[in-house]
Amino acid sequence: MAQDAGKKKTGGASRFFKAVGNGIKDIGVIFKEGDWKTRISYLIFGFGPIMRGQILIGAALLACEALFIWFMTGFGWQYLSKITTLGTVATKKVGRKTVYGDNSFLILLFGVLAIFAVIALIAMWYINIRENRKEEMLLKNGKKLPSNGEVFRSLFDRNFHKTLLALPVTGIFVFTVLPIAFMILVAFTNYDKNHQSPTNLFTWVGLENFKQLVSFSGAGIGPTFIQVLAWTLVWALFATFTNYFLGLAVAMLINKKGIKFKKLWRTILVLTIAVPQFVSLLYVMKMFANDGLINGYLIKWGIIKTYIPFWTDPLLARITIIVVNIWIGIPYMMLIATGLLMNIPEDLYESARIDGANPWQMFRSITLPYMLFVTGPFLLTQFTGNLNNFNVIYLLTQGKPQSVNLAEKAGYSDLLITWLYKMTVNDTNYRMAAVIGIMVFVVTAVISLVVYNMLPSVRDEEGFQ
Amino acid sequence: MKSYKTKRAIGNAVGYIILILISIIWLFPFVGLVLQSFRSYATEYGGMVDYLVPKQFSLDNYKFLFDSSQTNYLLWYKNTIIIALFVSLLQTIIQLCVSYALSRMRFTGRTFLMRFWLILGMFPGFLTMICLYFLLKQFGLTQAGAIPGLILVSVASSGMGYYVCKGYFDTIPKALDEAAMIDGATRSRIFFTMIIPMSKPIIIYTALVAFMAPWCDYVFASYVAFGHDTSYNVAVGMTRWVWTNDYQGYFTRFCAGGVLVAIPVTLLFMFLQKYYVEGVTGGAVKG
Amino acid sequence: MKKKLVSVLLTAAMGMTLLAGCGNEAAQTVADTATDVAETATEEVAETAEQAAEEVADAAEEITDYGTGEIKVWVADNVVDFTNEQIAAFQAAHPEFSGYTFTVEAVGEGDAAGNMITDVEAGADIYAFAQDQIARLVTAGALEVVEDSNAEAVKAQNDAGAVGAATVGGTLYAYPLTSDNGYFLYYDKSVVTDPSTLEGIIADCEAAGKNFYFEINSGWYQTAFFFGAGAELTYDTDDSGNFTKCNSTYASDAGVIALKKIAEIASSKSFQNGSAISNATNVGAIVDGTWDAQAAKDLFGDNYACAKLPTFEGADGKTYQMSGFGGFKLLGVKPQEDDLKLAVCDALAAYLSSEEVQLARYNAVGWGPSNLNAQKSDAVQADEALSALADQLQYTIPQGQYPGDYWSLATSLGDSVISGEITKDSSDEDFMKALTDFQTTCESYAQ
Repeated sequence: MAQDAGKKKTGGASRFFKAVGNGIKDIGVIFKEGDWKTRISYLIFGFGPIMRGQILIGAALLACEALFIWFMTGFGWQYLSKITTLGTVATKKVGRKTVYGDNSFLILLFGVLAIFAVIALIAMWYINIRENRKEEMLLKNGKKLPSNGEVFRSLFDRNFHKTLLALPVTGIFVFTVLPIAFMILVAFTNYDKNHQSPTNLFTWVGLENFKQLVSFSGAGIGPTFIQVLAWTLVWALFATFTNYFLGLAVAMLINKKGIKFKKLWRTILVLTIAVPQFVSLLYVMKMFANDGLINGYLIKWGIIKTYIPFWTDPLLARITIIVVNIWIGIPYMMLIATGLLMNIPEDLYESARIDGANPWQMFRSITLPYMLFVTGPFLLTQFTGNLNNFNVIYLLTQGKPQSVNLAEKAGYSDLLITWLYKMTVNDTNYRMAAVIGIMVFVVTAVISLVVYNMLPSVRDEEGFQ
Repeated sequence: MKSYKTKRAIGNAVGYIILILISIIWLFPFVGLVLQSFRSYATEYGGMVDYLVPKQFSLDNYKFLFDSSQTNYLLWYKNTIIIALFVSLLQTIIQLCVSYALSRMRFTGRTFLMRFWLILGMFPGFLTMICLYFLLKQFGLTQAGAIPGLILVSVASSGMGYYVCKGYFDTIPKALDEAAMIDGATRSRIFFTMIIPMSKPIIIYTALVAFMAPWCDYVFASYVAFGHDTSYNVAVGMTRWVWTNDYQGYFTRFCAGGVLVAIPVTLLFMFLQKYYVEGVTGGAVKG
Repeated sequence: MKKKLVSVLLTAAMGMTLLAGCGNEAAQTVADTATDVAETATEEVAETAEQAAEEVADAAEEITDYGTGEIKVWVADNVVDFTNEQIAAFQAAHPEFSGYTFTVEAVGEGDAAGNMITDVEAGADIYAFAQDQIARLVTAGALEVVEDSNAEAVKAQNDAGAVGAATVGGTLYAYPLTSDNGYFLYYDKSVVTDPSTLEGIIADCEAAGKNFYFEINSGWYQTAFFFGAGAELTYDTDDSGNFTKCNSTYASDAGVIALKKIAEIASSKSFQNGSAISNATNVGAIVDGTWDAQAAKDLFGDNYACAKLPTFEGADGKTYQMSGFGGFKLLGVKPQEDDLKLAVCDALAAYLSSEEVQLARYNAVGWGPSNLNAQKSDAVQADEALSALADQLQYTIPQGQYPGDYWSLATSLGDSVISGEITKDSSDEDFMKALTDFQTTCESYAQ
């Protein structure tokens, strides 16, 4: 977790608008005061810098403009122009062959991309204007402009971050920001199995899907949503804290003086991290099945008469999942705790022992406070991670058992995230999946913000560097 | 004094008993997996059974996996290794770059970028699956091209996972950089000749984590490669054996395949465990 | 001027083809091509039109140039090799399709529909799927209507159930491949002495400490009880795959008898929910289909036996014969943007579902044919599992179209029984309430 999440954004909005206001004012002032090179740059990006010999900067700006025009005319505009309707031309048959009409999916996706391109262009335009201004001022004050070589070299020194971040930021933009923006918009459309591209069109429906989510009557899925949300939170709480305390206990046990083969014990435990989960969890799933190994042996040995419904009873399934998750999760916590426990000064324990404290008291007053203080952020990430812990749930139960009491195919062990997955993959109910996705975001964000501000170990980032 | 000693001995004995119990629980599924993998497909039975030790040991299942006329397992295995190697390499490079920039340099938009990425990270990844699929399709990176496609997606978003690495860089004193800069070194020089050589543990940690992830990737890999058997990874190929009814009696083969997947990953992990511990511990404390 | 010439040529070409009296199919193709070409001609420049006219002239001489292309076929993994062989034979018999390359991929009948719907464009041109998916595929635009002359042949040569399963509204959308997607009883002779009553089978299994498998949380298997007790559930569809009406009598005394029986079965200690032999352990008896015949033989060895489904005794003291669905595997063709390619796909799909290939498929992998003549062949008649299925089929209804939501709703109903939300001790009101909810939800799927 980055340290900035909790920082108060006092007056963030007003500061933002002020900045925008100043920016617009700047644009006017610069045009009025600027020379002809600057003024032409308002239309032709980088014209000023090129004329002043800053060819590298100028060419880069000009290339941006050219790229934008090329993108829009060749590709972007045909989608952007239809984004208000998401397409009107239906697919039809000519003889036996199929002639596809508008593809709503691509219109929305590339329409969003085109909007981003427009925003990027405006940003570049502004940067372009500021650059002109900067150069003009430098020249006016009788200073020399940096040479092209210097500009280039600065990319490996003063501006090294630009070089380092260019690729990662682009990657994140294309493969994370764009898809997320797209899916948020899908929540406001009727994109589902009856409106699927390329054969069928889909269109905007406003807040319909959100209404369905919180509707508690008829076809509404409100009750199911509440139930799945509640289990998601309960699960995350149990999964996080059982692992935390049991992992801590195991680490302390292994660290205990007098216990030998420390490395062996750790290695055995760590196996669950090393073996890919799709192998280990699928095997465990089969092991606990009604007709699986465990029930089989228990019946053979006469311990039980009928099988224990580990996965098919709602409550038992939830408990079994948490137990199996302990199997998967303890080793992580053990590794972390092992390292941290060694950092606790030994004399703290010594003096406590002299005062006559028993091990439990020492744990209560020394170990636990220290661990909680140090691992606060870790607990938070674990918690949010568990909210979205897809693998454990999906590989073990796929969200089952389902019930007639739950809507939209939800099961009793479904988390929001597995429910979302089933909606996407099994039902192609993209609109509701998008709504659930937004809800997952809201839940995660709220919990992160609230908990983060309560953490004792939140410190100023610069402070502890 | 004596009572203290006996108390301690009892304490240790209890400790050992608990540890042995834990070890049995932890190892049991893996022992089961290995035993099942040796159950003969031909003479005994390939499906699920409710006993642990096969009546007859055989290598049938392993032979099946290595027979490319019957299954594409070896191909899936190769695909997974290719994906894992590339993702590991590229992801490490990207995370080092991002971490250095965010840890060492101060520039406009830095905090904005960090906050923005933090918020992005709160959206569930599956949400965007369908969108990513069609984006990749535009570049021809689905089905037949699924392997480069998967690498691209894993690498492209990896910049957001900079926390652990940045946390490590933060612990390297800034005074070192300043001294080097006074000597006339550029930022890039400092990065390549000073910081990177000092970051061996974190580089190994990042590469290890990135290498292990693709072995588990079922969800997105199956979505991108559907209908194209030769672009599957092991997780996609083998999960079908368990979940689809077309594959009757493949359970022991699944176990055998699972053992083959687990061995290299586990060995690698065991060798590099030290670095892994360093990474998670550091990451956990810094958040 | 040139346009006129083209249309004259076209008419001539069409007339010649018809006169030549070549196969109905070829004529159809040429006619289609001709219409298409005519359209292109009116729109595009004369040069192209001339070229097209030449093509049509070629077509008139019966050697239509089908151009080039790739055709992707999806079938289950265990018939990939078989399908490759058959396609090779098909290519040898049709040199006119030599411009096409065929690739066969292993995609199970269960997954095919989901994958097709995710991205129709990247999906296979010809694919096998289970019939319960057909309405969904039609709605998503992933199935092309079966070409008229092929449709006649399909209707004439396959059993009525299979044809019904491939029909949505009044239109035939797919080629039946098998007629063996029904279920019956496999049992261990040494455990079950009399497979004719459900109560007897369960008592035998309990006595021997063996498991009785029945997948009660599947909408497909569940119906054995509901239909057996006399409850009904069918849907009407229109031509584009939309569900227009739900005919359900689940919320009735018959429904209660069935659900009560399900709950009673589920309470047995020998009951296990499931229908896949290789995932089953300690099996005494299992309700499963022909696709598991080999696995069942492996498992039971000398004690292998199969029979039609048993009868059960309802809470009202009457005896009911278990019913269920007769099911089918189908072969579908994806809508194409190119008439010529579509023609090739039509021909291949017709070939892969023809009598000879169905029989060959039975011999290769044991899939029971839907083709009437193939069903009459000696080998098929002698098959134990298929005859058990045939015995059972007289009590079943051919499976029509059901919305995808029905299947998961049925899973929910079954899960509710397995998890003990509904037990055999629940009151009749509880049963009725569950069934009324179920029926109301089923009805809500039809617009």
